[in-house]
Amino acid sequence: MDFIRIILHIAFLYLLLFLGNAVQDIFQLSIPGSVLGMLFLFFLLKSGIVKLDWIKEGTSLLLKHLTLFFIPVTVGFMEYLDLFSGRGILLLVVTILSTALVMGLSGFVSERLVKRKEVQQYE
Amino acid sequence: MNDFIIGIMAVSATLGLYGAALMLYRKKKSPLLQPILVVSATIIIVLLLFRIPYETYMIGGQWIEVLMGPAVIALAIPLYNHYERLKQLAVPILAGILVGAITGVVSGILFAKAFGFERELILALVPKSVTTPVAVSIAETFEGPIPLAAVFVIVAGISGVLMSPFIYKLFRLKHPLGRGIGMGSASHAIGTAAMMEQSELEGSISTIAMVLSAVIVSFIAPILVMLFL
Repeated sequence: MDFIRIILHIAFLYLLLFLGNAVQDIFQLSIPGSVLGMLFLFFLLKSGIVKLDWIKEGTSLLLKHLTLFFIPVTVGFMEYLDLFSGRGILLLVVTILSTALVMGLSGFVSERLVKRKEVQQYE
Repeated sequence: MNDFIIGIMAVSATLGLYGAALMLYRKKKSPLLQPILVVSATIIIVLLLFRIPYETYMIGGQWIEVLMGPAVIALAIPLYNHYERLKQLAVPILAGILVGAITGVVSGILFAKAFGFERELILALVPKSVTTPVAVSIAETFEGPIPLAAVFVIVAGISGVLMSPFIYKLFRLKHPLGRGIGMGSASHAIGTAAMMEQSELEGSISTIAMVLSAVIVSFIAPILVMLFL
């Protein structure tokens, strides 16, 4: 029974994905269909049209194993080993440095602003 | 061998490795043992050793990949669960994400330019901090090399997960907000997925950062490319 439920839940997510892709296509948006579909689901939950309980088993299964679904794309890295064997390795260095900067600076700005807010609340 | 058997083999090998890697990760709790990293590296090594092309693996791999879209949609749930808390923090959240989006595009362009890389390759670097489907559509609008753009997205995701303990220490990020925003802005869905395994609150902050930074980057990237490249 749980198995059927999970299948139905995932089918519902596919329906939202399909809608998201359709909206992206019709309005020629640069935001991908999966992100639009996520926003649709958020509004459906927020407005109470869809109850969290209705889609619980399937969605929690997907969320628990989120990284699994990115493995096939990641394996695609092997197609580019040649590019990164020579000077191209510097492109990896650039990507890693830039990623470190993004993580550090964005987190730092958010955290500083929160602390200021917390201090203001005390005053 | 027919495609069906190859597909079954690819899927069962991936699932088996994932199960084993997950057990190992839960036991040791080291970011170096992230299942996505361990499993992908193992599969790549095996494929290279036996000279199996990526397309052959993908006969089965695509059956796993089809769940990527629904999984991204399911991220609405942690967002919904933590909405009230996150709403109060709208200003720090938005400011951090905006800084991250600009930093990602500009630093990528400037570093690559400093090393003297050609325009084509630099364009593939621009969308590296955002989730693959968005990065691909950004690369399309620049007419940059699309598969390469997807590769840089993966590198940003995996390297961010690996570096995160160090970056948190370096920038003194102690609050779940700073950590979640940093992870989602820099390492998109891969970082978010890894973070979700540790804490649902940090994971949902990371989800917000990933979604908003995808939207922001797709708007600002064309302008920043014009200014800096």
